[in-house]
Amino acid sequence: MLSFILRRLLVAIPTILILIVISFVLMFNAPGGPFNSERPVPAAVMANIEARYGLDQPYVVQVWNYVWNIVAHFDFGPSFKLRDYSVTELILQGFPVTLTYGTWAFAVAVVLGVALGVVAALRHNTWVDYLATGSAIGASVLPNFVLAPVLVLVFTLWLGWLPGGGWNGGQWQYVVLPVVALATTYLAAIARITRSSMLEVLNSNFIRTARAKGLPTHRIVLRHALKPAMLPVLSYLGPAFVAMITGSVVIDVFFSTGGIGQYFVNSALNRDYSVIMGVTILVGVLTILFNLVVDVLYAWIDPKIRL
Amino acid sequence: MTLRSTWGAASLLAMLAAGAVAQQATHPETGEPLAGNQTFTYRVLDEFPTIDPGLNEDVEGSHVARQMFEGLLNQDPQGNVIPGVATEWSASEDGLTWTFKLRPEARWSNGDPVTANDFVYAWRRAADPNTASQYSWYIELMKVENAGAVVAGEMPPDQLGVRAVDDQTLEVTLSQAIPYFPQMVTHTTTFPVPQKVIEEFGDQWTQPGNMVSNGAYVLSERVPQERLVMTRNENYWDNANTIVETVTALVINDESQGLTRWQAGELDQTDVPIGQFPRLSEEFPEAIHAVPNLCSYYYAVNVRPDSDPALLDVRVREALSLAIDRDVIVNAILAAGQIPAYTLAHSATAGYEPPEVPAASMTQAERNARAQELLAEAGYGEGGEPLTFEIMYNTDQAHQQLAVAIGQMWKQTLGVETTLANQEWQTFLDTRRDGNFQIARAAWCADYNEASSFLDLMTTDNSANDPRYENPEYDALMEESRTAADPLPLYQQAEAILARDVPILPIYFYTEDFLLDPSIKGYPFENAQENWYAKELYRVAEE
Repeated sequence: MLSFILRRLLVAIPTILILIVISFVLMFNAPGGPFNSERPVPAAVMANIEARYGLDQPYVVQVWNYVWNIVAHFDFGPSFKLRDYSVTELILQGFPVTLTYGTWAFAVAVVLGVALGVVAALRHNTWVDYLATGSAIGASVLPNFVLAPVLVLVFTLWLGWLPGGGWNGGQWQYVVLPVVALATTYLAAIARITRSSMLEVLNSNFIRTARAKGLPTHRIVLRHALKPAMLPVLSYLGPAFVAMITGSVVIDVFFSTGGIGQYFVNSALNRDYSVIMGVTILVGVLTILFNLVVDVLYAWIDPKIRL
Repeated sequence: MTLRSTWGAASLLAMLAAGAVAQQATHPETGEPLAGNQTFTYRVLDEFPTIDPGLNEDVEGSHVARQMFEGLLNQDPQGNVIPGVATEWSASEDGLTWTFKLRPEARWSNGDPVTANDFVYAWRRAADPNTASQYSWYIELMKVENAGAVVAGEMPPDQLGVRAVDDQTLEVTLSQAIPYFPQMVTHTTTFPVPQKVIEEFGDQWTQPGNMVSNGAYVLSERVPQERLVMTRNENYWDNANTIVETVTALVINDESQGLTRWQAGELDQTDVPIGQFPRLSEEFPEAIHAVPNLCSYYYAVNVRPDSDPALLDVRVREALSLAIDRDVIVNAILAAGQIPAYTLAHSATAGYEPPEVPAASMTQAERNARAQELLAEAGYGEGGEPLTFEIMYNTDQAHQQLAVAIGQMWKQTLGVETTLANQEWQTFLDTRRDGNFQIARAAWCADYNEASSFLDLMTTDNSANDPRYENPEYDALMEESRTAADPLPLYQQAEAILARDVPILPIYFYTEDFLLDPSIKGYPFENAQENWYAKELYRVAEE
């Protein structure tokens, strides 16, 4: 197991490097640049700006310097557009925000999604099942850019219970609506996967044996069925977790949380090269990491899988 | 509506409770009762690219810089210059040397006196190529002696034509007289910055805790993409007369979300989402405002020699311009008090009046008839060679709506087909600059409240002259206007030339539409540059 983890981590290094190079090339070949503006700056000024950010160097040198600064100093460079901040500062500021509401949303989605899926499977083809499946389908076709304004309308404008946006250092009132808006779609997907996987497991031989032995239902479900039924859910959860903790542009823009989700779109539109690279690398590293976690969990759940 | 009044009632209760303890304050001049809660919270669209006045290049950044820093001169609610750090200012007879007398009581937030050297340092720093300020050209625009050479790195920054005669006297030498020079020093690029602090903290000097400023407010909190909070500067020379305690800018990207949060009472000021002006003015008549904003919206026509031959024919360009029904655009599509434009400089610009160009006084039916005549003369349109043009705009729903409408007008009146193309902003800027367009959407906002800030655009060597219009006669007029005692007739002649040559199709003059909580008073609605000073604002107690 340990050698498997080490091997995977070693493979991650070239993967990240390739990711950096490809992103770099794509970025620099996009038209426009971070310093374009309505009034073009004089050539002399532009030359100064480019020199300041190292953009006057050849490609290869730029990539090399970039990687070297990260490896040697953990320095992702200054933001090209938000001149008062470095990329590291922006990520350190924004990532805890998305990590907070992302983790909560993940917890809500997993707990409620699994519960809903299990209940639906146990009451297969009854009104309980139809209700659960129906609401899961309803939730999954309700995108968060539709749900978010509705939530604000109801809870902020009509009821006046919760603030309509902002973060305020993560006070709970500010966290609730982003969590609900983000969790819903994932919750629905988890419920559907759990239900079908649970149905399959409940129809398998070992469950029939357990029933024949006269085990009570809650014991069958919790001790024997749930674990194998979780395998397909787990492979969904790895990438879903990364997507949730790195935030969503819709949530960040709509609730003005200050999270990093918005940088995926804003930094690309602004050609803020260093921020684009920073968030790309962050997501890359997290994806590799959590795929590894999922694989390890797989082996733990299902002894047939050998690492 | 219901919710706002409940909120109002709640704050009234809180106020009554507070009032029982302390006697209610009143405004020193107007005598209006002041609210206990002296805060001002407003929405900004995006995170500030920087709050360093010397680097700032955007409007929202300049609003923040104006609260935290004070330049030589300020603007009054009408946009006229009034004393800031400088109390007196005068020009030499040839107009080339300006002398500013600074008030001795001006202080930085750390207690240090504000001296002429702080301005010298700030101006040199802004022009210094090592600072890499995207607004260094502003120092050049002010015609400060040697500015061009310093910005280009050909001369050291200490050769810039600005010096401290003594601690309270600043002397500026210009390479060319400009009568509106005092108006130009209300701009953020000219604000003083604290040398000691910048040298100590480098790029980190704008962080809360590090930042030292000389305005009515100091930075107290900043969360990128979420909020920026400013509180009173106890060392500000006029602190005793400042009323608002806390100014908060909330970053809210989505304008409908801004509106919702304004309705929920989380904000005092927010923008009116496009198309919602008529509805909101019925719902919130006391809070809604549409004030002139010094920006012009126009279409640039590519008149480079290699452009479409049809577009190089002035009759075609004039026909296109005449066939745009600006009243429909302004009244039916935008519907928020915008002004139809037939010339370039905004009609609300200080000391400026647009000339009577023929198109402005015609009815649309007359314009259309004239447009058809012109096109036929040029040999195009019905019975002539068919025309198809592409309108290029930066991706945005409002620009698209206008392009569709204008395309429709051209088709109906002139039989001209149009295709639409949109690009996202950064790509669009490249395309327009490189001249890869036929007709492109453009807009310009004045850097200072003077018509030349608009009209200079169409001079031959202006880098933002995207049509690439070249006319020596026009250039000469603009050159002459700089030293003229009364430049207005020259500006009007220049506008008449533009109206004759039609390198651009003016469409409308902007207004700024926003909702402002009615309890906030002192807002400069008549300042066409929207330059507001939080130190002039106050919140009255609600009755």
